[in-house]
Amino acid sequence: MNNTSIIKTTGLSYHYSGGVQTLSDINLNVEKGSIYGFLGPNGSGKTTTLSLVLGLLKNQQGDIEIFGQHLHSARVDILKKIGSLVETPSLYGHLTAKENLEVYRVVYGASKAKVAEVLDIVSLADTGKKVVKKFSLGMKQRLSIALALLPNPELLILDEPSNGLDPAGIIELRELIKKLNKEYGMTILISSHLLGEVEKMVSHVGIIFKGKILFQGPLSALHLFQQKGSKLFIKTSDNTTAYGLLKEHHPERAEECLSVPFHNMAQVAAINRTLTTNNLDVFLLHPKENDLEQLFIDLTSAQS
Amino acid sequence: MNLLISLRSEILKTKRTAAFYFTLVGAAVIPFTFLLNLLMDGIEDTRKDPLNSIFKLGAEMNGLVIFPMFVILICTLLPQIEYRNNTWKQVLTSPQSKANVFIAKFLNIHLLIVVFLVANLLFMSLTVVAAHFIDPTLNLLSHPLNGARIVVNTLNAYVTILGVCAIQFWIGLRFKNFIVPIAIGLALWLTGTLMVFEYKSSFANYFPYSFHVFSVYPKVKSGLNQVAWASAGYAALALIVGFLDFGTRRMNT
Repeated sequence: MNNTSIIKTTGLSYHYSGGVQTLSDINLNVEKGSIYGFLGPNGSGKTTTLSLVLGLLKNQQGDIEIFGQHLHSARVDILKKIGSLVETPSLYGHLTAKENLEVYRVVYGASKAKVAEVLDIVSLADTGKKVVKKFSLGMKQRLSIALALLPNPELLILDEPSNGLDPAGIIELRELIKKLNKEYGMTILISSHLLGEVEKMVSHVGIIFKGKILFQGPLSALHLFQQKGSKLFIKTSDNTTAYGLLKEHHPERAEECLSVPFHNMAQVAAINRTLTTNNLDVFLLHPKENDLEQLFIDLTSAQS
Repeated sequence: MNLLISLRSEILKTKRTAAFYFTLVGAAVIPFTFLLNLLMDGIEDTRKDPLNSIFKLGAEMNGLVIFPMFVILICTLLPQIEYRNNTWKQVLTSPQSKANVFIAKFLNIHLLIVVFLVANLLFMSLTVVAAHFIDPTLNLLSHPLNGARIVVNTLNAYVTILGVCAIQFWIGLRFKNFIVPIAIGLALWLTGTLMVFEYKSSFANYFPYSFHVFSVYPKVKSGLNQVAWASAGYAALALIVGFLDFGTRRMNT
């Protein structure tokens, strides 16, 4: 993977007509060949950001560059190379799956064989003359993904694509995204409000909350951040003395116990030895590693 | 070329919609009424020129009521395809310029209008043939038919409705709720028609929702040339304003 930016936003800010600032200084950087998980709770500004990136909303402040071109000056050329799914499925209910793809086939310059291929990828090749309004939500979502794949895009933008999918469908989608990234070299930007849902497939993560980016970088950097957040909870016969003994570990007082940041289990054992050799009874020694989900909640709740 | 691609996309969306069936049904209303009349009461054979009279009467009934109502409804129904299916975001994230999307939608409406007018003439012709066989003594098919007059009347009906078509297209794009554009259109159509027949208002010469009357009502036909130009002017103005509005509005919400 090289470090060329596919999407680069600079100082992106946006407010809806009500005047409330929805996005503030968003500097998104999606690298070529990456799977970028764009995370945040509902209402944090994910869809607004993606709508700006796709040109659905008019940019008010800041700059958007995609494939090294400015969005406002090369909108059509850029959109030729993007497949997208924004929020709910966007399909014609009175048409069949094939007819829905046919509406956009020539617009994207795709071949008839490509229509059959993408229907096959999402397992909808056998829906025949059944019109889309009779599809389940999961089928509609899969057809929307097929539509996003129709242009054979260099960049795939999926906004909450697992909405409406059952657990098996979510796993299938995850495998499909990995395959598209690995075999076709597609750069994928996928938004979700569930970290656990995307952490198994993404290479990069951006966390947005209340319209501001809290974290952005490779997943490994988030893991490093996670390790720093692990804490050891200690309860002894004399917490005040324990607090003094562990001063170099920067302890914090919690209800009836202390919490000390730690990096590995050897450190936990050393702390235990320090306490017992100073004649303190240790009632509780609970190392709590911060999983990514907890970290996500901590990151977003700390700002609220 | 890109505009043709966008138009192809728009035509494909119309497949199996109410708009397409509505066009054919709307075009058949007057011919069907003629046929019913013929079966129930027969044809007055006192006219010197029965064949051209039938087409003239058909054009009058069509031009006054059915055709303007059809245009008002179709201009609302087509943009509604995107609202009803929540597909504006897909349209606007596809590699088409907004101008192409806007023009292709307008052209698609005109395709249906042309289908309506041609189908109407076809159904009228079939009615005449049916009349000939129902009452052979009339010998309808042996009478001369002024084809040029029929074409001119049809073109006049088309040109005088252009202004209303563009205005209704803009309103249809603007409102998510389809009742609003239809209500506005029908209210203005009724006002425009009454303005000519009831109030004999000279303002009708400038009111686009009155223009359809000029193509069929002999008493005001002298002003046809003026309102035809005015209709084209209103159409151009509504399209420009409509496009500026379309370009700046958030269509996907």
